Amino acid sequence: MILTELRTTADAFHSSTGWEPKPEGLCRGEICVPAPGALATDGSLDVTIAAERLGMPIVHDVEHGLWALGSATLGGRALSTAVAADPELKTFDNEPFRLSSLRGKKVILLAWSSY
Amino acid sequence: MTVALDIDIDLARPWNTLAAATHPTLIDTTHITNAAFGFTNIPMAVWIDENGVLVRPAEAASIERSPLRDMEIPEGLPEQLSKVMHAVKAIPDDAEAYRAAILDWVRNGAESRFAMTPDEVIERSRPHSDDEARARACFELGEHLRRTGHADSAVAWWKEAHRLDPQNLVYKRQAWTLVTTPAGATEYDLMQGPNDVYDSNLVDEVSGEGGFAQFIVRPTL
Repeated sequence: MILTELRTTADAFHSSTGWEPKPEGLCRGEICVPAPGALATDGSLDVTIAAERLGMPIVHDVEHGLWALGSATLGGRALSTAVAADPELKTFDNEPFRLSSLRGKKVILLAWSSY
Repeated sequence: MTVALDIDIDLARPWNTLAAATHPTLIDTTHITNAAFGFTNIPMAVWIDENGVLVRPAEAASIERSPLRDMEIPEGLPEQLSKVMHAVKAIPDDAEAYRAAILDWVRNGAESRFAMTPDEVIERSRPHSDDEARARACFELGEHLRRTGHADSAVAWWKEAHRLDPQNLVYKRQAWTLVTTPAGATEYDLMQGPNDVYDSNLVDEVSGEGGFAQFIVRPTL
């Protein structure tokens, strides 16, 4: 997630990271991590607090005024839950696509590249 | 379904068109699925059941033995090409077993011995420390900067991503090919050999004792 300041909307954080800010904490699948002070009443999110709770490193590009949020390190594994992430991706026709649209089917998601 | 881990859709598109797949084919220009699913090389796959739950974590995924494995390597090839071809021939082959596992899961679902429990999926997913997480942030910064006209700055962040996560071959090959592919090319350079920008390159990294195998997460079948 690329940021120009260390505060964002709960929706943007959820969309970018897969972790949904809720009053009870930062939630993904069956996991909710308490994050007191992260979620404001106006729906904005303190990224520093959220990142600390999820073990997400924050990298700062001073020259360009950008921050980048690393992935969560809870549990020390690439996956903190077996519930599949559901990022919005694009088809080659630039149409939005979510994995959840295939719910009800077995899916093999195969990654490839042209290089 | 397939997802192309490609920053530049225009260079991935010809391959996608040629494949003429009947399943959903997606493009991931920011490599978000690397972090979301643990892809560090290609081809890799995850299995997801009807409820949206992973039953196998990211692992090398082939269903057909590549003809490159059985090729005769001609004498007199350019050194770099010969090195890479030898390295390709040495890639471990699990295609037959992996294909059989897929078919077993299709038929038997959760009863398949190849379908893992959620705890198993998590435990068998790739180790992920602060370094790997930080590498993700660095790679994403680099992609953003390149896309917004700061290609030189992108290189610096990608070098840092490579340093932090040396096992992530996708981060490496994506970055390398952007400097080894000639301007105006319609296809990426696949060799990604020595260049003036990065200290490392594909030819050197797979020519050593570890070969491609050091970057492959073999399926546990």
